[in-house]
Amino acid sequence: MPHPLRVSGLTAVLSMLVLALAACTDRTAQPTASAGAGDEGGTIVISTAADAGSLLPTLVTSITDREVTDLLFDRLAEIGYSLNTVGDKDFSPQLAERWEWASDSMSIVFHINPKARWHDGAPVRASDVRYSFGLIRDSTVGSPIASLVSNVDSVSVRDSLTAVVWYKHHVPEQFYDFVYQVVVVPEHILSNTPGAQLKSADVTRRGIGSGQFRLAKWEPGVRLELVADTANYRGRPKVDRILFLVSPDYNAAATRFFSGEADVLEGLRADLIPKMATDTTRRVIRFPSLNYSYLRFNAVDPTAPSRPHPIFGDRAVRRALSMAIDRRAMLRNVFDTIGHLAYGPFPTASSLADSTLSQLPYDTMQARALLNGAGWRVGPDGIRVKNGRRLEFALATPSSSAIRHQYAVLIQDALRRVGAAVRIDESDFPSFTAGQLARTHDAEMGSYNPDPSVSALRQSWATAGIGGDGQNYGSYSNPVVDALIDSAMTSFDAARTEDFAHRAFNRIIQDAPAVWLYENPSMAGVARRIHTTRIRADGYWSGLADWFIPAAERTARDRLGLRPTP
Amino acid sequence: MIAGRTRDALARRLICDPRARVAVAVLVSLIVIAAFAPLLSPYDPKSQLDIVALRSQPPSAQHLFGTDTFSRDVLSRMIHGARVSLVIAALSVTLSITIGVLVGATAGFLGGTVDTVLMRFVDGALSVPRLLLILVVVALWQHIGVGVLTLLLGLTGWFGVSRLVRAETLSVRERDFVLAARALGSGPARILQQHILPNVVGPALVAAALGIGNVILLEAGLSFLGIGVRPPTPSWGAIIQDGAERVGELWWMTLFPGLAILVTVFACNALADALRDALDPRQLPYDSSAQRQAPQA
Amino acid sequence: MGGFLARRFLQAVSVVFSVTTLTFVLIHMAPGDPIMVALQSPNITEPVRAQWRASFGLDRPLGEQYLRWMASIARGDLGFSFSLRRPVHDVFADALPRTLVLTGLALVLAFAIGIIVGVLQAERPGGSRDRGLGRVLLVLYSVPDFWLALLALVLFAYRFPVLPAGGMVDPVMHDYLTFSGRVADRLRHLVLPVATLALLTAAGIARYQRAALLDVVHADWMRTAVAKGLSWRVALRRHALRNALLPVITLASLSLPALAAGAVFVERVFSWPGMGNVTVTAIAARDSPLVTAGVLLISTVVAVGSLMADVGVALADPRIRVAS
Repeated sequence: MPHPLRVSGLTAVLSMLVLALAACTDRTAQPTASAGAGDEGGTIVISTAADAGSLLPTLVTSITDREVTDLLFDRLAEIGYSLNTVGDKDFSPQLAERWEWASDSMSIVFHINPKARWHDGAPVRASDVRYSFGLIRDSTVGSPIASLVSNVDSVSVRDSLTAVVWYKHHVPEQFYDFVYQVVVVPEHILSNTPGAQLKSADVTRRGIGSGQFRLAKWEPGVRLELVADTANYRGRPKVDRILFLVSPDYNAAATRFFSGEADVLEGLRADLIPKMATDTTRRVIRFPSLNYSYLRFNAVDPTAPSRPHPIFGDRAVRRALSMAIDRRAMLRNVFDTIGHLAYGPFPTASSLADSTLSQLPYDTMQARALLNGAGWRVGPDGIRVKNGRRLEFALATPSSSAIRHQYAVLIQDALRRVGAAVRIDESDFPSFTAGQLARTHDAEMGSYNPDPSVSALRQSWATAGIGGDGQNYGSYSNPVVDALIDSAMTSFDAARTEDFAHRAFNRIIQDAPAVWLYENPSMAGVARRIHTTRIRADGYWSGLADWFIPAAERTARDRLGLRPTP
Repeated sequence: MIAGRTRDALARRLICDPRARVAVAVLVSLIVIAAFAPLLSPYDPKSQLDIVALRSQPPSAQHLFGTDTFSRDVLSRMIHGARVSLVIAALSVTLSITIGVLVGATAGFLGGTVDTVLMRFVDGALSVPRLLLILVVVALWQHIGVGVLTLLLGLTGWFGVSRLVRAETLSVRERDFVLAARALGSGPARILQQHILPNVVGPALVAAALGIGNVILLEAGLSFLGIGVRPPTPSWGAIIQDGAERVGELWWMTLFPGLAILVTVFACNALADALRDALDPRQLPYDSSAQRQAPQA
Repeated sequence: MGGFLARRFLQAVSVVFSVTTLTFVLIHMAPGDPIMVALQSPNITEPVRAQWRASFGLDRPLGEQYLRWMASIARGDLGFSFSLRRPVHDVFADALPRTLVLTGLALVLAFAIGIIVGVLQAERPGGSRDRGLGRVLLVLYSVPDFWLALLALVLFAYRFPVLPAGGMVDPVMHDYLTFSGRVADRLRHLVLPVATLALLTAAGIARYQRAALLDVVHADWMRTAVAKGLSWRVALRRHALRNALLPVITLASLSLPALAAGAVFVERVFSWPGMGNVTVTAIAARDSPLVTAGVLLISTVVAVGSLMADVGVALADPRIRVAS
């Protein structure tokens, strides 16, 4: 069942977000020349950290899966650069050439572009849309996005090129809910495989879609090659070929980029920024990030969830530990000059963000005083003790993240100086997530990629997010915060929503359920001969079909042309 | 008596061997460095000096081996790392040698079914790469401390030793003095202790020297793969791992600990070689003087 | 002879069986939920995870999972990799030949170097050449595998970029090269990893070879040969070498586990997409089907290797042949 609160609150919130994001993307958009005639051709080589797993959008679970399937498959309509999720005005036609709303807004009729073809030559039909939705809903398939389309009732086929989407409720985001989440997949290719076997079926690796690129060759773990679909109904992409090179080791990936073997380095890290600044053949592209990272304290005892945590249950202790951490120096250590501080439970790209909210100071004297006041006295080995318990705790961090590892070790030393012993528990990402979901961590190095709305805030920091699928992994609970968030979500007045949200932020920051550390910068390195277009915040690759390489700047691999690979 | 004479001869041969002298000098100085680490190291190995101004500094007069990304002094970490690496190696090898000698001597002395079962097990264990075995265990049970790591290294290192000791035991078992002791009514435990163990000391020492080198290499390798001692404890492998992400720029974090490992392992292996040659004079160079020295068996 | 072979074969089978069973038990006793590998995002809801668990049989008791797994192995089905999202069989069909090429070439090269160096040393034992080579070998024998590989990489790919930094072929241009161009491309990519692995392995072989040669020189027939007026060097090459090769065959089997371990590091450093890389990645991702099958495969290869070496020795050594 959709949350009525969430929907009404979103209308106001998202309209502001739209403005903020639009401003943001405008600021960071790259000045580009437009592609002229004769600019078709060229090869873009992308150095990526992980290989794709599944090329069936229904079963996509990783960012690389998402990236590749976005290039191979189409949706009915495409979201705009504004990422406006309300209504349909910022969407542009993709597989559907036009659409009409029913007068009661409970259904939308989509007219499929008659020129649209699957990569095997078969036409795209309305029944494919119905099949794609059915696949997500099919419980034997286990699609990770099943819960995101819960407001869609069904899809019916009026004729071979007309599909009707029926909704349960009329909500501002209903167009987005279907169009953005349901990627259209070919029924005639997939329907021979029973839903239960689809996860491990070879057909999910063939990538037959209707997008502007088609899958040419995939050597798992090594390279994945896409070529231009020259007969595509949306026109052929500018470049001939996109090659993903897989290097699980970041060094190797960076080496490939700087040796010229690759044109694009995904997830460019801060330590390479000085090197990029003096590079005349490469540049950095940055795009708005919807992420913030923090050290979260568990407010309850992981071994007995009904009791407060013996250390972090005390607000004064949480504040003291926060004050012992020099966030700006750490930011400088990890990101050099390009880091962004996190100011509270929100990404600064969000329209609700307020970086002027009062922060807890870095003040080790006050931190020590607070700890003394809370009864934690320095013991013989320099570690504080209270009632026989040492001020010692485990800090969980995923080994896959070098940045979080670096922060964890920095924090370990900072807290040692005020008499707290930190044991760094590194585990692989799956185990880390499992611990997070089970709420077994004392403290954790966390990171959020929230849907930038008040409802995401409610999921992660209000009492409502403590159990079940909620993301309040530290079980932080403050009734005042809960009330403020609820007020923000039910208000139809944008200014009041913002005011309630800021008051909630302020409360949360002062309660210190977490130490707000940094925002992960979203960056990629790109060779200058590649001319990029505007970058959409939800995926830098969204405009890849329009990237081009002017004839004068081409190298040998750009001139390979489209001849079939031997 | 016999053992004592052998020991004297062994010591004499060792002292004459330049390899042994160099190796012992290196190892003794390492042990001294490790023992007096807090006095010798210029900085606290875990202390982050200035996380902004002093991070990732190349070698200089203040920091001979540079600093790491956390602004910790690499030299100080290496000096304390010697402690961790050597203690892990020494303890785990002691464990392996003890198990190896006990199993080998038991199998060789008792023979029969016991011998067959034990040696089949050892054959099987030897056919699995030790690295793989440890990787599986360490990676799956995360949050492993130094103690468990040492235990694991010790428990996977005795297979080769037990074979050596068994072979030695077999050859000693039928010698006259053992047969005589048996005839005089000595129990198996006494024979093992009085006659067999002294004779396997040599091969066990060689195995120990090799084993220490091996464990140091293994610990470094595990650290390189991201599995090893937990931060902020410094071990040589952990220091290399801290810099492995950026080996091109922060070369000092890979080079110096790598050299320390190389020198230490080299010393262990050289000592093992010297010991082996001293124990087995047949291996001496084939020339007239060697002919004269070689005792006639 | 037949009895020996049968016993030896049974032993190899039982070793592989126990090692794999042990791995299966270890992995499934370890804390953690294997399906988290495929569904890492915290946004994925519990019902979806439960559905995936059920469809891969992970909700069954451990004993039943083990029996199912053994049954599927018997059918030739090695399971499904959660992290790579493809059948384990396919993963290995790609990776194993790559590792065999790498280790096979390295082993051949290592034996060539090792035997030559061993003979050179044994010709004048205790001489300056013997001692000099001995020291070099001991350094190679003492160097951490990954450190030597890193050194080679930094030296020949970064500092003096004469060779590619990693991979098996030029990932972009390879398919578009002429036949001879493709062969040259492959060879260029093989140089650094094969040379590193061969050097690491050769050190042990040469040391063993020298010792084996010096062992047989005391045999009566060597003395006879020298007494008959053959020069020491000729006698060594003509007679001793042949006899000393026998233990070296045994060494080939003994060096297989070390070679496998070395390959893990070399593949890692040079981004060689073989078994070592697959196994380490699988372990880091806790991909239990892939890890278990990887251990099964590696221990089988090692067991078959040592079986073949034993058979080789048995065929070559008249004493064993006669005895059985």
